[in-house]
Amino acid sequence: MMQFFGETRIDFISQRWKAIAVSAVIILAGLVSMIIKGGPKYGVDFLGGTVIQVHFPQAPNIGDVRQALAGAGYGDIEIKTFGAANEILLRAEKQEEGTAISDAVMNALRQAFPQNIPEERLVESVGPKIGKELRTAAIWATLISLALILVYVSFRFEFIFAVGAVIALFHDVLITLSFFSLLDMEVNLTVVAAFLTIVGFSLNDTIVVMDRIRENRRIHRDATIEKLINLSVNQTLGRTIITSLTVFTVVLILLFFGGDVIYNFAFAMTVGVIAGVYSTVYIAAPVVVEWHKKTEIQKIRRGVKVA
Amino acid sequence: MRRNNLLRTILIGLAIVWSLWQLYPTFIVGRQKNEAENYLVHIEQQTGLQRDEINEALNAGQLESRIRQRLHDKSADSLQALLKEAASLIALHDKISKNDPKTIKRGLDLQGGTYLVYEVNLPKLMRDVAKNKDARFEEFMKKLDEVAATPNADYFAALQTSFAEADIRLNRYFGSRAQTDAQILDELKREADDAIDRNLEILRNRIDQFGVSEPSITKQGSRRVVVELAGITDKNRAKNIIGKTALLEFNLVKDPQIFQDIITKIDNLLKRDLAAKPDIGATVDTTETDSTGASGKVSQDKSVNVSDLFAGSSIVPSDSAAASSDSVQVDKDIFSGNPFISLLRDVGRSEVAVPAQNVRAVERILNNPEVQKLIPPDAEFAWSNKPEKVADEQYHYLYLVKKEAELNGALLTDAQQQIASGAGMTRQGEWTVSMQMNDEGTKIFSRVTGANVNKRLAIMLDNKVVMAPNIKEKIPSGSASIEGSMNAEEAKDLAIVLRAGSLQAPMQAIEERTVGPSLGQDSISKGTWSAVISLILVMLFMAIYYKLSGLLANTALALNLVMLLACMAFLKATLTLPGIAGIILTIGMAVDANVLILERIREELRAGKTVRASIDAGYDRAFWTIFDANITTLLTALVLYQFGTGPIKGFAVTLMFGIAVSMFTAIVVTRVVYDYVTRRYNLKALSI
Repeated sequence: MMQFFGETRIDFISQRWKAIAVSAVIILAGLVSMIIKGGPKYGVDFLGGTVIQVHFPQAPNIGDVRQALAGAGYGDIEIKTFGAANEILLRAEKQEEGTAISDAVMNALRQAFPQNIPEERLVESVGPKIGKELRTAAIWATLISLALILVYVSFRFEFIFAVGAVIALFHDVLITLSFFSLLDMEVNLTVVAAFLTIVGFSLNDTIVVMDRIRENRRIHRDATIEKLINLSVNQTLGRTIITSLTVFTVVLILLFFGGDVIYNFAFAMTVGVIAGVYSTVYIAAPVVVEWHKKTEIQKIRRGVKVA
Repeated sequence: MRRNNLLRTILIGLAIVWSLWQLYPTFIVGRQKNEAENYLVHIEQQTGLQRDEINEALNAGQLESRIRQRLHDKSADSLQALLKEAASLIALHDKISKNDPKTIKRGLDLQGGTYLVYEVNLPKLMRDVAKNKDARFEEFMKKLDEVAATPNADYFAALQTSFAEADIRLNRYFGSRAQTDAQILDELKREADDAIDRNLEILRNRIDQFGVSEPSITKQGSRRVVVELAGITDKNRAKNIIGKTALLEFNLVKDPQIFQDIITKIDNLLKRDLAAKPDIGATVDTTETDSTGASGKVSQDKSVNVSDLFAGSSIVPSDSAAASSDSVQVDKDIFSGNPFISLLRDVGRSEVAVPAQNVRAVERILNNPEVQKLIPPDAEFAWSNKPEKVADEQYHYLYLVKKEAELNGALLTDAQQQIASGAGMTRQGEWTVSMQMNDEGTKIFSRVTGANVNKRLAIMLDNKVVMAPNIKEKIPSGSASIEGSMNAEEAKDLAIVLRAGSLQAPMQAIEERTVGPSLGQDSISKGTWSAVISLILVMLFMAIYYKLSGLLANTALALNLVMLLACMAFLKATLTLPGIAGIILTIGMAVDANVLILERIREELRAGKTVRASIDAGYDRAFWTIFDANITTLLTALVLYQFGTGPIKGFAVTLMFGIAVSMFTAIVVTRVVYDYVTRRYNLKALSI
């Protein structure tokens, strides 16, 4: 039997405060950066605006591109290269409803570069109204799936398990969002899809451990909650590591070979998968531990009063 | 406990056969398309026909005659050889079109294409149907524009309350005098609802005639139309055809003298207005920047900032947003005496030329309520639809036309693009669009032309003047033609929109997503490679770490992939790039289910149980974990499906089916194999 770990007896729970501190620092840094920047850096999906990816046969001079666009009345368009020097990304924010700027921009570029005719590779143009709608939809989607999870996990396990799981999920999304803000990456629709997938994966992991806790509680009736959790995490450690590694490999492959279109998605997944595995042990479990400790104390107090 | 494995085995067998059956068309069509591609390339080379032309001929069943036409001067042998190829291509084409609907569809992001969302422009529709429009009405409409820009806001409710608050009845601007507010509101709503359905019809018609393969045109909600066009080469043309209202009207042009009078009146009004601020003249002189290079009279034209020029004028408000980019050309000698006329050229004819730079300033002056009062109630200004270039300068033309159209495009029976023969006013080789009217239209046209000989009739498209020819004589035939510098494509597109009819309500594009064909190809290859590499790495790991049991898990994994794709083919789901990402994640989920089971079996083995008992316990204990984990992921996938648009939906779909299929393959399929092996061989040790 090939094994990475034999039977381990690592005391995960005693380290929980240090781990929570690490999470808190990352999230705090992320929040501060978001406050300074006035919220996450939304893509055109949520903000409204136009992104055009243009492919030139030969790398153009960015100054010439800027001049061509300014000549057509689009001086305020953001221009940058995208990967190779002949891939140009144009980005115009906040436009009026119904303005077809992509056509005008492409025409201006075609006229300005007759020897180096640009090809329109990608256009994403979202009116301000749709942008607002998508933003609301994304927030609702995240909240509703968290609510559904809360209900399902309370039904299958215990309410406090569900609370722990949902807090862990919030943590995962926040960590990922923080990384996006700190690295100045754009949050668009596919990134929100990634958030929800992270939620699914992280929960998967949490449920495996919780399932073990539930089972162990029946076997070791008088063990403390810390011991139960430590035991369960250790017992499922083999599975956790193998699954996380395979998923992590898959996500890394998407990140490196998946292409530009899903790069942000893959990046969110990469951060989220790590956060998801870690949050089971250090976020979901401590919530359960602290809650149990509190209720134990209350039980004792009540017991004292009655006696 | 004996499990009914016979039933399970049959079920698995059926699932595999069904999957292969579903995937067969996709597989076979892929091969046929490759084969057809070879023929296509060869025929392209031999005949010099374009790819689009060949496809068009194929669809129309005219490929052989087209080839004969092209190769009539070549030797009989080479023609025969090519005709043979054409026959094979036609046979292949028939097979492909028969099986194509059963293949897995690729999304626009993979094959390249455009996704467009149009919304009925309610503010514009209301302005169009309103009567007795005045400044007060425009105030209301401006406020309501904000409502229209708010997601999920009820425009009509807002319309009702805003009029009710001001204590103005709706029949002042809409409907007829006898109607109550509620009746008018109902009518307006119905009008908007009907308009979208009619628009949908008209758009289908237009796009069909434009010739896009498999366009998808669907209604979304009550005010939106989603148009999906796959693999089109000229997106701008398509967008032009879709978005154009294409309201064709014939309006009589007002007498030049009336036009002249109004211009003079506007001029006087503006002069009076400016005279109230005596320092303006000085401002003009100091802000002049010399635009040298022109000669003669034009050399006196100066570029002046519009807000400086008209500073203090209540008629030309210098709103800060427009001021920075607005500079106009004025003749400085004329300006002090005739501020409005100085913006115009060629005054005195029945149309007036306006330099492109001055158009916005002129528009702002004309839209002023004070100025509006000077225009006769039965007339309105209209611009030409295209600028004209005269001596390096772009000019737009301004017309004064009768407000009420004599007749409109609804009375057309046909419109065709034609190359002009050179007769009449057209030059030979110029493209025109000839129109034929129905009986009613013919009658009206005959009467109007008869009664207005030597006057000008403007042909207007979407309230812009396309041309305004002089009526030489009565036209009894009911045929008219549109001329004016068009190329072949523009003429064809104009004929299409005229034939299909005008949209019942104006629409505006509110979302566009376009993926170029090369990027789509790129995404496919990158997505496929990522999937293949992930699959190989994961399988390799499983086989090494879990040995034979790992191989069994791998078989389940492969089956998972096949069944997932089969489900997609069966449900006619579309494979998008996020969909491929979903498949890759499904691989991850499926691996997890297998790992959970295998780790559990190992634990049981370590605890000293027999192989059979370990397997039983492993599956039993792991089942609920897998179940709970997958259900929660399924919940998030469902939410994503509900809230997501386009590509995100594709991701949610693959994730949902992936979860369902992976539970089946990981739990049922592998279990049957273990049961079979352990029962048959009575294993003492398990390769795990």
